[in-house]
Amino acid sequence: MSAPDFSVEIFHNEFLPAGAREVNAIVTVTSAGDVASEQPAAAGAAEIIIVDCSGSMAAPITKLIQAREATAVAIDAIRDGVAFAVIAGSHVAAPLFPPRGGLAISSAAVREEAKRELRRLRANGGTAIGQWLQVARRQFETRDDSLRHAILLTDGRNEGESAHDLAAAIAWCEGVFRCDCRGVGTDWKVDELRKISTALLGTVDIVPDPAGLAADFEAMMHASMAKQVADVALQVWTPQHAKIRFVKQVAPTVEDLTARRTQLTPQKGDYPTGAWAAGESRDYHVCVDVQPAGLGQEMLAARVSLVYGTPEGPQALGQGQIKTTWTDDEALSTKISREVAHYTGQVELAQAIQDGLEARKHGDVVTAEAALSRAVALARESGNADTAGLLAKVVDVDPATGVVRLKAKVADADEMKLDTQSSKTVRVKKGPS
Amino acid sequence: MMGTSARTCPECATNVSGTDNFCERCGRELSLSEVSVGSSAAAACHNCGSPAMTADGFCETCGHKAPSGRDHVEIDLGALAGVTDRGRRHGRNEDAMALAVTQTPRGPAALAVVCDGVSTSHRPDDASLAAAETALRVLTAELRTGTPAADALTSATVAAHKTVSDMAAGSEDAPATTIVCACVADAVAVCWVGDSRAYWLPADHSDARLLTRDDSLGEVLVAAGALTETEAVESPEGHVLTRWLGADAEQAEPPHTTSFEPAGPGVLLLCSDGLWNYEPSAAGLAALMPDAAVENLAAAAASLVEFALDRGGEDNITAVLASFPCQ
Repeated sequence: MSAPDFSVEIFHNEFLPAGAREVNAIVTVTSAGDVASEQPAAAGAAEIIIVDCSGSMAAPITKLIQAREATAVAIDAIRDGVAFAVIAGSHVAAPLFPPRGGLAISSAAVREEAKRELRRLRANGGTAIGQWLQVARRQFETRDDSLRHAILLTDGRNEGESAHDLAAAIAWCEGVFRCDCRGVGTDWKVDELRKISTALLGTVDIVPDPAGLAADFEAMMHASMAKQVADVALQVWTPQHAKIRFVKQVAPTVEDLTARRTQLTPQKGDYPTGAWAAGESRDYHVCVDVQPAGLGQEMLAARVSLVYGTPEGPQALGQGQIKTTWTDDEALSTKISREVAHYTGQVELAQAIQDGLEARKHGDVVTAEAALSRAVALARESGNADTAGLLAKVVDVDPATGVVRLKAKVADADEMKLDTQSSKTVRVKKGPS
Repeated sequence: MMGTSARTCPECATNVSGTDNFCERCGRELSLSEVSVGSSAAAACHNCGSPAMTADGFCETCGHKAPSGRDHVEIDLGALAGVTDRGRRHGRNEDAMALAVTQTPRGPAALAVVCDGVSTSHRPDDASLAAAETALRVLTAELRTGTPAADALTSATVAAHKTVSDMAAGSEDAPATTIVCACVADAVAVCWVGDSRAYWLPADHSDARLLTRDDSLGEVLVAAGALTETEAVESPEGHVLTRWLGADAEQAEPPHTTSFEPAGPGVLLLCSDGLWNYEPSAAGLAALMPDAAVENLAAAAASLVEFALDRGGEDNITAVLASFPCQ
C-alpha cells in the first residue's frame, strides 16, 4: 500500500495588529487522487461488526431481525481479501464469526458462511460495551493490518458495567482501530456512543427505525473500504514559547483534537486524523498564541504537516506554512478571513446545539431557548441547511418576531438526531473575500 | 578618503597611480564601486541566535524571518557615501543604491544611483537592485571612455530600463522602479525617471535647491495649480507615478537630465521619497545636514536616514551624498 500525497492549503489573514499574539488559520488537507478511480489494496484492511444482542434487542423482535439483515448487507460489502469478523455483544462479547474468534479472509464463500452464522444471533443478557471493544481489539490484534475499522450497533444504555469501565476500554482501543457507532431506536445514550466515536475517530448516528439499518451499514462499509492510508497524523510545529490554543477538525464534522496531542518535542506534536481515502478533503482550524514581533516582522507561526508512520519511521506527505506579519496598517490587520470566520461560526453552532439540548434535559427552558435561538441564526447565516432542518423539528421559530421556542412535544428520535448531527458542518465557499 | 595620493594594488601590492582605474601589473580593477546588496543570509537568527534556519529563511526555534541583507546597508567611499534602510513600516527594503568613484579622461568622478522599486509592481526589490547595478556599470564604462556626463547618464538609465523590462514574465507582472543617477566631477550632472530626487546643498543653505522634477501626479497637479506642494506631498494621489522603468512603462521620451557647474563647494543629495516625504524643501534638508558634513559624508547620510526614521519611517529610506568638487 502506498501512501498518497496530501495537499495542504492555508487560509488566514496573515496580518496582525501591533502586539497581537493570536494567529488563526484554516488548513485544508486533501489527499491526492480520485475516490472513484482508485481501489485501495484489500491487504492490510480489517473489519469487525459488533452487533448488540442484549435482551432488549428482542423488543420488538424486528430489531434483531433487521440488525441481522443489516449485518448481512455489510458483510456483502466487504471486498475480497479483507480480514473480518462479527462479534455478538451483551454483558459479554462472543465471537459469532469466525466461530472460534480471530479474523477470516473475505471471499464470496466465506461471506456466505459468515451470513449463515448470523442465524445464531439471539437476544439475551445485558449491555457492557467496554467488553465488546476489548474483544474487538484482541481480535484485530491476531493480525497486523494497518487499516482497522469496526461498526458498533447498540439499542440500549451501557448498564452492564460502570462508566469508568467503558472509559478505560475506550482508552485501551484508542489508536488501534477506528469505530463508527450506531444507535437503533431511542433507548440509548448519545453521549456514551459519542465518547467512543470521538476517541476512535469514527462517526455516531441514530437509526430510529430498524428498517434503515441495512442501507446505513452498507454506506459505512463502503466508506471504510475506500480508506487507503491509516494513522495519518497532523503534525504541528510552533515557535518556541508559542502556545497552541486549539487544533480542531472543522469539516466535515467538528472534532476537537487539542487534548489528543502526542508531544514529540516542546515545539512539535502530532494530532490523530485516522484513515484517509483517496481524494478525501478535511478542514482544520489551528489557533496559536505567539510572542508578538515588531512591526514589519514576518514570523512562521506554525507549520502543519501530514505525517504517516512507516516501518522506516515517520514520512511527511504534505506540508503548509502559517505565516504572520505585524503591521499598523489597519486595512490589512482588520481584514477578516472568511474561512476562519465561517468555521468559528460552525463550531459555535455545534456548541450551541449541544448546550441547548443539555439545558433542555435539565428543564432549563430559558438557557435552552437562548442557545437554540443562537443555533438557528448561525445555521441560517452559514447556509447549513441540514442542521437548520434538524433544528426545526425541535424548536418553533415565530416567522414574525424570529423568537425561538422549544416545541411542546419533541420526538426523542428528532432530538437524538439533532444531537448526533450537531457537529456536522458545511464547507466554506472558497473564493476571494 | 579617496584622492590622487599614491596607493597600492590590493591584489599584487604594486604601487599604482591614484588616477589609474586598473593595476598596470595585474590588471585588477582599482576604482571603488559598491551596490547595496547587503550581506548574504545570516548564519544565525537575528532574534534568538539559533543556528537552525529553514530554506526560506525562518528560524526553526522562534519562527522569526531573517532580515534581508538589504534591510540596512551603509556604503562609504569617502568622496561619496550612502545609507539605505527598510524603515519602520515595510516588510523589506525595495530601495537600492549603487556607488562608485572612478577616473575619467577629465579627472576623478563620483557616481551614484538610487532606485526605489514600485511597491505595487511585481518583485520591486529585485527591480531596483538590478536597475542600480546596471546603471552604475554602464555609467562607469561610458565615462571612462570619455562620454560626456549627461550622455553617459542617459545611456545608463536606458540600459537600466532594459534590464528591468527584461525581468517581466508578462505584461501583468512587470517589475518597476524609479531611478535617479548622478555624476559629480568638474560639474554636477543628474538624470532621473520617477520621483526619486536630487538636491544641491551648497555651503550657503539659502542657495540649496531641488534639481529634479518628479514624474508624479502630484507634480502635474501642482503645475496645474490644483494642489499646493504640501498637499501634493500629503495626498496619496500625489505619489502616483507618471513614469518609471519597466516593461509596462511608456518610454517615448528620453529620461530627464540636468547639469550645472556649481559656483562653489557643496554636497549633492540623491534620495528616495522615504526621506523627502518628511522634508521636501531643499533649504530644510540643508538645515538637517550636520556641520562639516563634507568631512564625513557617511555620518551625514546616516543622520538624514535617522531623521526619516524618527519621523515614522513610513517608507524605505535612501540617502546618498557626494561632495563637490570631487577629489
